[in-house]
Amino acid sequence: MNQINLKEIKSISYERAKIKNGYTDKSLRVNLDANDIIINPIEENIKNKFIGGKGYDLWLMWNAVKGSTRWNDPENAICISSGPLGGTPGYPGGGKSIVTSISPLTGAPIDSNVGGYFGPYKKFSGFDVIQVDGKAKKDTIIFIDGIENKIKIFEATDLPIDAYELSDVLTRHFDENKPVNVSVVTTGPGAANTFFGCLNFSWWDAGRKRVRYKQAGRGGIGTVFADKKVKAIVARCGTISMKSNNPADFEGLKLVTKSHSKEIKELDPKQNRMSLVGTTHLVPIMNDHDCLPVHNFKFGSHPQSRIIGEEVYEHIFDKGYDGCWKGCTVACSHGVKDFSPFTGPYRGQKVFVDGPEYETIAGCGSSLGIFDAHTILEINFYCDAYGLDTISVGTSIAFVMECFENNQITMDHTGGMDLSFGNRFNALEIIHQMARGEGFGAIVGKGIRQMKQIFAKDFGADAAFMQDIGMESKGLEFSEYMTKESLAQQGGYGLALKGPQHDEAWLIFLDMVHNFMPTFEDKAEALHWFPMFRTWFGLCGLCKLPWNDIVPEDNKDTLEPAKVTKHLGWYADFFSAVTGRKSGPDDLLAMSEGVYNFQRIFNLKMGYGTRKHDTLPYRAVGPVTVEEYESRQERYDEQLKEKYSLDISNMNSRDKVAALRQKRLEQYELLKDAVYERRGWNNNGIPTLATVKRLGIDFPEVLEVLKKNGVA
Amino acid sequence: MIEVDEKQMPWFPDMTVASVFETLDNVEFCSVVRLNGKLVSSPKFAETIIPDNSKIQLLPLVSGG
Ligand code: SF4
Repeated sequence: MNQINLKEIKSISYERAKIKNGYTDKSLRVNLDANDIIINPIEENIKNKFIGGKGYDLWLMWNAVKGSTRWNDPENAICISSGPLGGTPGYPGGGKSIVTSISPLTGAPIDSNVGGYFGPYKKFSGFDVIQVDGKAKKDTIIFIDGIENKIKIFEATDLPIDAYELSDVLTRHFDENKPVNVSVVTTGPGAANTFFGCLNFSWWDAGRKRVRYKQAGRGGIGTVFADKKVKAIVARCGTISMKSNNPADFEGLKLVTKSHSKEIKELDPKQNRMSLVGTTHLVPIMNDHDCLPVHNFKFGSHPQSRIIGEEVYEHIFDKGYDGCWKGCTVACSHGVKDFSPFTGPYRGQKVFVDGPEYETIAGCGSSLGIFDAHTILEINFYCDAYGLDTISVGTSIAFVMECFENNQITMDHTGGMDLSFGNRFNALEIIHQMARGEGFGAIVGKGIRQMKQIFAKDFGADAAFMQDIGMESKGLEFSEYMTKESLAQQGGYGLALKGPQHDEAWLIFLDMVHNFMPTFEDKAEALHWFPMFRTWFGLCGLCKLPWNDIVPEDNKDTLEPAKVTKHLGWYADFFSAVTGRKSGPDDLLAMSEGVYNFQRIFNLKMGYGTRKHDTLPYRAVGPVTVEEYESRQERYDEQLKEKYSLDISNMNSRDKVAALRQKRLEQYELLKDAVYERRGWNNNGIPTLATVKRLGIDFPEVLEVLKKNGVA
Repeated sequence: MIEVDEKQMPWFPDMTVASVFETLDNVEFCSVVRLNGKLVSSPKFAETIIPDNSKIQLLPLVSGG
């Protein structure tokens, strides 16, 4: 084991709060400017309005930052919470952490929902939420010891550089005899040198006797972490059980846990087989529905996609239990053992790769034209070890490759690298450069929004073309679904609070495949209901996958199969049993709506959050180029003729691209109108006074922000 | 005979996934099946021939990550 040096610079003992009904009612603040450790109570009215998880994070963030705060200002905070239901062993998906910060990419609050044991361990150590702010002068480790009831701040030297080794070394250091008691949050060198650093949240895999990790990937929270010189936050706590949350109704909790867990065990093998293949089944499915991003979202399918999907990974994944939470029966967090990278610092060594999931395969595989399962594994491994978000990495490199193929940038700019689609060695080289903060990789690591400016200003690239093909919105790179043929999913990405991530709404199949929402009103209803319900998982500390990735056998016979009504009932029972707040499915939605609107107003406070910020690159809406148009000519021609009643007999492909563009952009604006109205927002996308009053979030500071933006 | 979600159905020559669907209720939300272990998506239902003694599982609504 590496010899690491930790110098204790602050230590406090504390009385561990007794957990009641899923809450400790305490928050922990660590201020790195003064090395202050502050424990605060959480008031009942805050609990009732913000519930926990992302709600608590956002409330603390709101109070920590000003409208002028930038991501690298000391007052920017990183908040981590797990929510009242988080930490329920055996409940599928019952142990997530939600992390927030002001994002280096978007300038607004970003949130990420992540597995691993940290969130629950922190809670069972006595804190519903932790806020880290200020900036340390030297590399720092924060240690929350829920066994000894101490919180310590260390200055650290001689630490491993990357997250792969660091997570392992710290886990063993902080509890050599019982590493299962430890969970660490780390990042890697790429986080300090890019704007899309991720955080790795660990857990001890008792079967394989090794540290595993999951990523809080989106929006560059790892970059904020590195900027604060935090090398790790470590939580340690003893044995936990279903009683650890001190639930209001233990028998009720046991019953609902058993029901959901048993159903998944029975039905997953008959449905998506996620316990065997994770989310890799989505690769062939998306491909066959023309929704898999290929070559920077230009196309939706590729004949070679089969060799990067479940048929291959099922055989590569290491066999064994792969729950990123204790007892989760979905157990979809697979990995590959004894993988030997062919580049970089681990070249020729045997490593364990946590992943890949669908997003990484699509972003770092098909979107780059790389149809090689091993290269995708290598990219996955290095992104995690370097602390880089695989989605932003993949989508950014795809943008660069399309710019290269269109001569917007050349080898003079890339340091001599040929960045044509499919060039796997140079894709990997960019990632190594990002980690070192060197060469062309350092530019790519700034993200698409900044690259567009740099390429136009310094390299003379065509700004309008890059605006069309650069797959970012609000500054965040797109996650990996094609939205061109689904207006509802365009809204799912374009209207998402933090930027184009699918965790708010995933409506492609309902809209495009099943044509379940033909009118604007139908789409607006879906773009209200789904984001609200999906938000609830983040408030409570849960994973969304067990809700609708495995569904009851009779789900298709129910009135609203997309909502998986039986599971809604179970989640309401789960919430009632832990918290003692008797709730039905509609109550869950009401909880989310307040927090959702609060986050929209938080965006406004930071200078965003209006209609003009809900825009999309045209690539997400329709075909940018003639080549794209002609790849789906039949579909587009028919649309121009049938849907828009245009006579296209004298149009060439270029004219048709322009005509379709005009129509589709109009449709997107009409969709915005309908969604804003449904959500109780004005035409500029701002919640109205009546809405904030109805939701009980009419705090004076909220009203002040609204007033500044013309809502009074 | 073939088996669809563990229920037996008579097989006929040139049977496709689409033709099986015509005989089933409430399948409008099913866009993917597993045919003898392999995924088949709705754009290929009409062209995918089902061999005798096949096993088909109807996968529920695809929900995305
Ligand atoms: S469903 Fe998968 S990602 Fe979610 S908690 Fe379980 S193992 Fe982790």
